[in-house]
Amino acid sequence: MTERAGYTVTMFLIDVSPSMGTLREVEVPDGLTGEVRTIETTNLEWSLQFVKLKIQEMIYNGRKTDQCGVILFGSEETNNIINDKDGGYEHVSEYIPIGQPNANTLAKLSALQASEEHGDPIDAIIVGIETQERYLANKKKWTRKMILLTDGESPIEIEDWEATTRKMNNLNVSLTIVGVDFDDDEIDFHDEKKSDIKRANEEFYHKFVEQLDVGIVGNCEFALEEVARPDVKQVKSALLGTELRIGDTKDHPLESIIIRAKTSKCTALMRPKSWKKFAARPRPVSEDVEMTEEGEYVEYTPLIMRTQFYLDHRAEGEEEEAAAPQEESETEDEEEAAAKTDKLQVIEKEELVRGYKYGSSFVPTAEEFPRLRTEKGIDICGFFHQRNFRREWPMGEVQYVWADPEKPLDQAALSSIVQAMYEKGYMAIARWVSRDNMDPKMGVLSPTVFDGVDCFLWAQMPFADDVRKYTFASLDKLINKKGELITKHPYLPTEQQLDAMEKLVDAMDLMDAGEKDEQGNRNPWFDTRLSYNPAIHRTKHAQFHAAVVKDLDTHPLPPPHPELTKYFEPPRRVRKRARHAIEECKNVFKVKEVPKRVSKLRKDGHVRALEDEEEPLLLEKLQRRQSQLKSTQSQARFRATISPKSQRRTQKKYINSDDSATEPESETETEDEDYILLDKEVGGPSKITDEEGKEKEPSPLLTPTSKRSISLELEPDLGREPGRIIGLAYPLTDFKKNIVGGDLVSKAVEDLAWVIKSVVQKPFTWKRSEEMLGCMKELRKVALQEDEIDAWNEFLRDLRKTCLEDEPGNKQFWSDATALGRGISLISKSEASKEGGRSNISDATAAEFIRSP
Amino acid sequence: MPRFDEWNLVDEEEEEELQEAWYEGKRDVILFAIDCSESMFEMHDDPNYEDTKTCHVLTALEAAMQIQKKKVIVGPNDAVGIMMFNTTRKNEAGGQGADIKQNNFVFQPIETVNAPKIQELIQLLDSAREDPNLLKETFPSSDKHVPMGDVFTSCNWIMRDGAPKTATKRIFLITDEDDPNSGPGRERLLTSARTTLIDLTQAGIMVEPFFISTEERPFDQTKFYSSVLLPNNLNGDTGDPSVLPESISITRIDDLLAQMRFHEVPKRALFSIPFELANGFVIGVKGYGLVTEQKKGTYRYFMDLEDRMEVAESRTLYVDEDKETEVPKSKIVYGMALGETVDAKVADIESSTGVLTRRVPIHCKVFYTAEEIRSFRTLGLQPKIKLLGFKSRRSLGFEDNIKHSIFIYPDEMSYSGSKRTFSALLKTMIKKKRIGLVLTLTRRNSSPIFCALLPQAEKAEESGWSEPAGFHLIPLPFADDIRAAPIETGYRASDDLKDIAHKWIHKMSVKNGSYPPDSYPNPALAYHNAQLEASAFRDEFDPDSFEDHTLPKLTTITKRAGPLLKEWRQTLMKEEAANVVVLPSDGKKRKAEESVDEKNLRQLYKNGELHKLRVDQLKTFCKSNALSISGKKADLIDRVGEYLDTHSAEHGITC
Repeated sequence: MTERAGYTVTMFLIDVSPSMGTLREVEVPDGLTGEVRTIETTNLEWSLQFVKLKIQEMIYNGRKTDQCGVILFGSEETNNIINDKDGGYEHVSEYIPIGQPNANTLAKLSALQASEEHGDPIDAIIVGIETQERYLANKKKWTRKMILLTDGESPIEIEDWEATTRKMNNLNVSLTIVGVDFDDDEIDFHDEKKSDIKRANEEFYHKFVEQLDVGIVGNCEFALEEVARPDVKQVKSALLGTELRIGDTKDHPLESIIIRAKTSKCTALMRPKSWKKFAARPRPVSEDVEMTEEGEYVEYTPLIMRTQFYLDHRAEGEEEEAAAPQEESETEDEEEAAAKTDKLQVIEKEELVRGYKYGSSFVPTAEEFPRLRTEKGIDICGFFHQRNFRREWPMGEVQYVWADPEKPLDQAALSSIVQAMYEKGYMAIARWVSRDNMDPKMGVLSPTVFDGVDCFLWAQMPFADDVRKYTFASLDKLINKKGELITKHPYLPTEQQLDAMEKLVDAMDLMDAGEKDEQGNRNPWFDTRLSYNPAIHRTKHAQFHAAVVKDLDTHPLPPPHPELTKYFEPPRRVRKRARHAIEECKNVFKVKEVPKRVSKLRKDGHVRALEDEEEPLLLEKLQRRQSQLKSTQSQARFRATISPKSQRRTQKKYINSDDSATEPESETETEDEDYILLDKEVGGPSKITDEEGKEKEPSPLLTPTSKRSISLELEPDLGREPGRIIGLAYPLTDFKKNIVGGDLVSKAVEDLAWVIKSVVQKPFTWKRSEEMLGCMKELRKVALQEDEIDAWNEFLRDLRKTCLEDEPGNKQFWSDATALGRGISLISKSEASKEGGRSNISDATAAEFIRSP
Repeated sequence: MPRFDEWNLVDEEEEEELQEAWYEGKRDVILFAIDCSESMFEMHDDPNYEDTKTCHVLTALEAAMQIQKKKVIVGPNDAVGIMMFNTTRKNEAGGQGADIKQNNFVFQPIETVNAPKIQELIQLLDSAREDPNLLKETFPSSDKHVPMGDVFTSCNWIMRDGAPKTATKRIFLITDEDDPNSGPGRERLLTSARTTLIDLTQAGIMVEPFFISTEERPFDQTKFYSSVLLPNNLNGDTGDPSVLPESISITRIDDLLAQMRFHEVPKRALFSIPFELANGFVIGVKGYGLVTEQKKGTYRYFMDLEDRMEVAESRTLYVDEDKETEVPKSKIVYGMALGETVDAKVADIESSTGVLTRRVPIHCKVFYTAEEIRSFRTLGLQPKIKLLGFKSRRSLGFEDNIKHSIFIYPDEMSYSGSKRTFSALLKTMIKKKRIGLVLTLTRRNSSPIFCALLPQAEKAEESGWSEPAGFHLIPLPFADDIRAAPIETGYRASDDLKDIAHKWIHKMSVKNGSYPPDSYPNPALAYHNAQLEASAFRDEFDPDSFEDHTLPKLTTITKRAGPLLKEWRQTLMKEEAANVVVLPSDGKKRKAEESVDEKNLRQLYKNGELHKLRVDQLKTFCKSNALSISGKKADLIDRVGEYLDTHSAEHGITC
């Protein structure tokens, strides 16, 4: 059953006993740079993240009826309603009274530190129940939740706890216990070395929640992961009343009909929640310097938007130039901006007249023009066969049209139309007016038959004014100057090319690339109902993160949840299946990026004069881009820390000094090239060439075609077989490079596996045993992280067979490998699930597999 | 300062669609170059008006006027000019065309479209219809054809003087002469025409020819123009020179306007990005918005500067409300709303005006920069279309829609080989009845979306317009955008009722028809623009003369389907559902009320006794008939009365 949104009081019970001050190491991956750092933090600070994220969710939703309170146990002082009345319940204190949370709630939580005292969680629960009960005295329908945060290291008075669970069940209180380093089967976490008291407490907590109608114990790390998971609340749209009309309802009432109808949204575009803008207040100069005990502070204030009207006194050219650059004016100098503002004359709104423009003529009207008079309702204009429906025309969101749910006869009437249209395969053309005198829309009604009800789906279609009829050159019919049809031309695909494309389309079919259903049939891959809008959820994640950490520099935003990017790459099955088809396509289509034209940047007008130089210039640029590529890669990880300006400067310098950098291009880099070249942020390389190209003597440079042949020539040095991206010579280096690049993970995994197998089969390779074992360790690590688990397991089985069963085999290598133990064996289910992957190997099988034969 | 206006302000950082405005903001300049040689003045019957004669020049000017009128609506900042050639009329000294080549005359210099200019044209056209010789006298033909090179040079100069640098500049060349520079020196003239045309192209000016062809004077472009016109000069594509330009319009004079309509808005790409079919297999594509909602012109603010009116532009400032200081954009950082203040005691950092601020230790960073915000939206992706795979055509449902589509077409200029690859993909997908699934980021500032890639085969239509070959990118809804169906059960029709519905649906359907956008000009927009035009021309606007083409053709429907609809209604009354009485289900709060059925209500209304009903009874009736329930009792009585007037007893379904 769906919960009613809001109308909830959540009590957070937080353990601040001394043990919560224990330090732990936490990895903080940086979602922007991919860097992983380790920081030290207390268990309290770490686990409080969960509470803060929950509270941030409430702030985010902004419901007045979504409230919470915070109670501490193990606090120095005692301050709670039961103690006030009857005494006892020591070291339990009400820290934040129940109310709608805001930023201060979070700030107060951040200030918490572990104390010197122990407090009893059961006491805290009882205080929580009482506090909640008193607050909700006459609000019986509110949902009561309780979240207890503890490390389970403090003693619990377990006498008569059943009375507490009974009370909680009576009041419908749900309890979630979030335990720091609690054993949890979900993530396969079991701490063998934990203290006896913790073990006993954990057992008790499990017993406790079992007695509850709604209760759960979970591991804190797992809970933190789960709160980052994207979550879509099912929204049912409101029903709006309207009428569906057919025929002349005014003059021929008996030969027409009005069906009372309701409409509701079927799709509705959601956007990321907007950001609030803030600015630091300039700090008071002398007298008022705010020096609090905690140190110096900067005060950030939220900004409001205000509209200013002005007359533009700039010359036409200036205005055009200002409008021309697509980039936002972030980079422009402050002074420049100020100079521009000088030519703008600010005017008060009261001095202005309102009106419309008719071209450059001015049409003053005191009020907006009267609107077209229309009557609310949906009029059916006609029907057509759906095979003639243009799927690319619907303009936006889709709506449901239902018969009024309280009017059986209207339902029967609408149902008969829907069913008849459905059987005929027809759609209706309809005119929609949402309210009296609102602008009409035209669209189509598509009959929809659900299990229990018939309805229409509506989509708005374009008016004549909305359709742009641009002309495009034919892709098929090329006509030469003599007026004849050309059949062979670089624009026209050849039979061979069509053939290759056909293989690609077949290989990349998604209809059988999804998960298997119960019958073992594969479903199509990709489902809109499971595709989360990454921008919405990433933004929300970032907003939450910023609200709960004290410093984004030490606690950078972690990478996006895998759920958000699960559809960013074709499924692995398809990538594998399509590999050959893709290679073939690349070979037969021979697509090349065209270097950007230089002439556009020349403002001196000597277009002709420079034409002779054009060719070498372009080549040089290509060369420069390649060398730039290296600089981009090496700089990539620093990028986040340097300002855009200094970044550009460094890059420029790099290019200047980079003439000699004609190192062999590895094939991977060539493949990456397209991607890098798209990277507009890498401040205009073409411009640089343009400025410097004139001074330099164009040196004999590689042409785009010869580049590939040279890199092929160099390949044997790296021991790279054609089509492989990992060479036999330096496999581990090649592999790591590819993984950092991140684009060709599957291919890299496959190739390294191939290298290892090849090497161990060759004579005299015992010299490289150590190296190969190193490769295996790295390969397994990556396979686990990158969801190449099946590939690893397959490889390892294959390797064992090669070593032990095949001729010549390499029994020595396999026994060296088994010596590494369980950590090099097949990847098991439990290991895989930790990394979000899947495996069908049990732990026992994995352990057994690696035992010496 | 009134806050109301600010509700509608769009925050540019958040609003991805806004970028499109940049393209809209680019100005378009059209110079009509109209041939005035003898043949252009030959009179023939006007196809639209009986007993009147017309000539090519008249039709061309009429088209120019219509295009200007349209421009006012679709691009009020666009500029238009008219040049006549092969005429002996002299240019006035000092004007835009003062020093252009001989026998070329600037009739209307390039200027932003405006009311007086359009009216001038309208008056000339009206008088020309009265007096067939007027045009001939206004623009007397020269004895000899001007070298086309001179025409292009003149156009170049006029554009140079009149058009802003960054605008798109086009020349609509209208002539019926397929061999203008025959005779001696032909080769030389041809070469000069070609070179001057190259100059034009390099100045960013495109020539779009409209060649008039009649039965008596068929237009043969191979005589002269094939060797002059540049290939693909329309797109700025430097295509293969052995291939002819794609859109020379050779047209019957009657279709001239229709042909121009296709070119009325300059073809502008929304984006030009790579299309990655697989890793390392990338082509270039450009995206075009072929269906985009055309909106009314905005209601704006103007400043009266005595001698003229000037538009007051608006801009958004970000202000620290307490200190009343403007904060420059570079100083703005981004964070979450701080939430409501619950309790004054807790809010130790609340200021006097009630604005909550956030105090942060001096070296701590708790806000994001604009650049970071953008990376959250893009997830670090660069603009591109990335192919994920293929699905069956049927897997794209009617309900999988959230935004208008975008058309993509290969861009040979960014990746050579794009066209053949694109074409091969298109053909294969059509053959295999597949659609593509792609991940798309169209601009640096937008966010990634999944789209269906719907192939469209090339199809020529009779009207001369042809459906281009390419893909439609159809944005798919995310899980976040999908709403659940709120109704799960309902009464269904009997087979009898459904069978009669079949019949009248058949009568009301268009054979081989489809949704016809061309038949439905936006009535609200047209109504608005008619008023705007009347105001600008200082005419009186007559609302009754306005015709709404989107209204259903009631007479036809009644004639064709009326009797069947009647029969269907009678059957409906026999439905099982007719005997069911539904009790109000959401009666939690409602008091024991007797809802009044329509019959009683009508009786009361007839007797003028609606006021005898209680407010809640009136409201119930309003609610069940989708009427507003706001206002006082008198308002409700009025509303119910009005409803009963317009909805006679028989037409609704009474139960």
